[in-house]
Order: sequence, then C-alpha cells, then structure tokens
Amino acid sequence: MTRFDLRDVTVRREGRLIVDRVTATLAAGRCTALVGPSGAGKSTLLRLFNRLDDPTSGSLLIDGAALESLDVLALRRRVGLVGQRPVLVAGTVFEELRAGAPTLERERALDLLARVGLPEAMLDRAGVGLSGGEAQRICLARTLAVGPEVLLLDEPTSALDPEAARAVEETLCGLLRDGLTAVLVSHSAEQVRRMADDVLVLREGRLVESGAVADVAYVNGAGGSHP
Amino acid sequence: MNSPAVPEWTGVALSISLVAVAVVIAWRQHLGLAREVVIAAVRAGVQLFAVGAVLLFLFQHAGLPGGFAWLIVMVVIAGQVAGRRGAGLHRSRYVATGAVALAAAVTLGVLIAFGVIQSAPRVVVPVGGMVVSGAMQATGVTLARMVAEARGQRAVIEARLALGLSAGDAFAPHRRELMRTALIPTLDATKVVGLISLPGAMTGLILAGVSPEVAIRYQIVVMYMLLAAAVMAALAAAELGQRMLFTSAQQLR
Repeated sequence: MTRFDLRDVTVRREGRLIVDRVTATLAAGRCTALVGPSGAGKSTLLRLFNRLDDPTSGSLLIDGAALESLDVLALRRRVGLVGQRPVLVAGTVFEELRAGAPTLERERALDLLARVGLPEAMLDRAGVGLSGGEAQRICLARTLAVGPEVLLLDEPTSALDPEAARAVEETLCGLLRDGLTAVLVSHSAEQVRRMADDVLVLREGRLVESGAVADVAYVNGAGGSHP
Repeated sequence: MNSPAVPEWTGVALSISLVAVAVVIAWRQHLGLAREVVIAAVRAGVQLFAVGAVLLFLFQHAGLPGGFAWLIVMVVIAGQVAGRRGAGLHRSRYVATGAVALAAAVTLGVLIAFGVIQSAPRVVVPVGGMVVSGAMQATGVTLARMVAEARGQRAVIEARLALGLSAGDAFAPHRRELMRTALIPTLDATKVVGLISLPGAMTGLILAGVSPEVAIRYQIVVMYMLLAAAVMAALAAAELGQRMLFTSAQQLR
C-alpha cells in the first residue's frame, strides 16, 4: 500500500509555470485520476512521481518519505510507468519483459503474458510487427515484471484503436482491483469514471477541484465527456 | 637542372606563378572566384609563415616545456571545435577538451615512455598535432551522434529509465552505436593506408629525401597512434558526455 503526498509542488520550464503549487494526497490502494484540459500540467506532474523529472520547488512524499531521499533506481522499480504510446526497447517479447527484470524466468514471463491477456506463443516473437494494442500490453507486462507497488498510467489507451483501448482498459481495471495504487492521466471522462476512485482536476497548472470520482463535476458533465 | 631536395625561397617565390595560373583560369572562366583564390593563397602563406616562425622559436628557444605549452594550445582549440559538434549537450566544450586531452596525453605518453619518438619539441609538436587532430575528429563525431541519439531516442531511453535501469544501462545500446560510428573513418583510413592514400608523414619524409623504408616505419607508428587516439577519444567523449546527458538523479536532461 503506497500513499503519495504532494506539497506545494511547482514546475517551471523555461520561465513558464507548468504546475503551480499543487498540494494533495493520493490514497494508498486507490486509482487517482489527473484530469483537466490540454496543457493543464497533468503529464508533467505525472513524470514527477517516478522522478523522470524533479519539481522546481515543493516536494513529493511516498509513504511519508521525500522522493529525493530515496535511491532513485529503487524508487522507479516501486513506481512503474506505462506511457501513452508503447515504446519497445529490446528485440523479442521475452527480451522486452526482461528489460527491467534481467533475471525473469520463462515461467513467470508466461504468467505475465496471461495477466495482460496475451497468448503464450507470443513470448518468442519479435517486438516489431506487433499491433499497437499488443505492444501496449507488452509494455504493461514489462512494467509489471519489475514488481511495482504503483502504476503511473499516462493516457494508456489514447493511442490505440477503440477496440484495443477497451481491452487494455479492462486489463488495467483487473490489475487495479488487485490493490495496486495507480495514478491515471486521461482525457476521457468515461474512462476516468470506469477506472478511477479519486480525481484531481488541474487547470493551468493549479489544482481546482478534487474528491471521489462521483463527486467531481468535471468528470460527470452532461453527455459524459469533458466540459 | 640540379634541384635541391627541399625548395629554396626562390623556388617558393616561383611557385606563386601557379597561383597566378589559378587566378587567370578563375577569371577567364568567370567563376567569380579569382578574388577568393588570391585571398586563400595569401592566407595560406601568412598562416604557414606564422606557424613556421612559432615552431622555429619553439625548437630553438622554448625547449620541451614550450613544445608542451603549444600542445596544450592545440588541445584547447581542438576542444572548442569538437565541442561545437556537441552543441546542446551540457558543457560539451569541457567534455570535448577533456576527451582530446586524455587521448593525446595517453598516446604521446606511451610513445615517449617507450622511447618510440624523441622527446624533443621538433618531434613532439608535429606528432602531437596529428594525435590531437585525430582525437578531435573522433570526439566531434561522438558528441554529435550523442546529441542526435538523445534527441531522437528520448522515448526509448526514458522507457528504460522508468524500468529502474541506471543511466549507463539505459544508454548503453546507443553508446555502442555512436562509438562505432565515430570510429569508422579512422578504421577505414587505417585499412587503406598506402593503397589509396599516401599519408602526410610518409609523403613528407620521402620528399625530404628519407628512404621509403624509414618513411614507412614512421608511418606505421603514426597510424597505430592515430588509431589509439581515436578509440580513446571516442571512449572518453562517450563516457564524459554521458555524464552530462543525465543528471545525478538518472534523469535525461
């Protein structure tokens, strides 16, 4: 169970204020969605959770410990990331799954494939030529192979066709039910309602609304899409 | 006509007639280059005069410390030039200067320590010049490729970082590739030496009247030292450059 606390988190890039004094708590074992219009600072904020970037000022705490006080490589193994587009980094699917877990055995690799809804036969295939949905599942399995406590999901289905998106989302929902803590960036209010427990609404870098998913107006607008 | 092994000053003066030929051709053919030919020829003459004067002074008065001081100046200039190839990389000029300096120091150090070459300014300066120039090329290509790779493959590198890989591990495949690229010109030049190109040192010695048997001995040493200098420069540039590419928190800058 992993909780995050954000204290006055601020990010400036080239003089521009991207994230503006965000203070919030992300509860352990829940999925918290970061939502808001494009350019609100959601993805920038997400990159701070596994220290791909650091805030300009303010701090993030994981279970009460400041992120920068921890070994950054160990932190990244605790806090896994699934990006918007699947980015493959190795040759075969098996090598892909071992990218962050070099000692991963075949047995466990096959388990992981099953967990993300892919057939066993895929293990020895080359990464090139996989469909977007398949590649995204491989990326998810690759992250799970490291054994994270937290999943950062940066619009994990937005680059996929609707069918693949729905299937990947179902896989993700299954993982979240197992008690992983998650931080989700999403543009789709429906997806947020299906996946998230809590919502933080950002606008121009500032936290403007937060609460349980049912109570946040931003994701419950008429017609189910963003206002 | 009995010509000297090396041109006299009168011979140099007469060779200006060749510049005149080039100017006349450029002018008659309306190449718009006559002025540039003159400027280039004058520039070359002035530069070589100046370098000749500096070297003469070094060899006669400044001794070995002067020779090494001149080498340091060459390293600094080479570092600036190669560093510009890595524009966009944090502190690229320091990285380039460090890489060239290391490659030159080790290569020349070995040659002098083993007594392969004389530790006299007359030898150290020109041999050092070749080493520095070879190291500069390898450093420049390494840094240019590094910047391009970090930009083009950012998503892949960050995906590896996000899996908990160290900066070194996340960049390793790219680093191998860019070092290979940096070493290809030197490797190819080494392979075809004597077949396609008669290299400068050998040509110079033969022109000065030295027997080809002696000239190739020198050239073999030169080729081996250039090979070593390029490999070391590429390695040092990759190693130092990589440290600038990532923060201490293993973040890609």
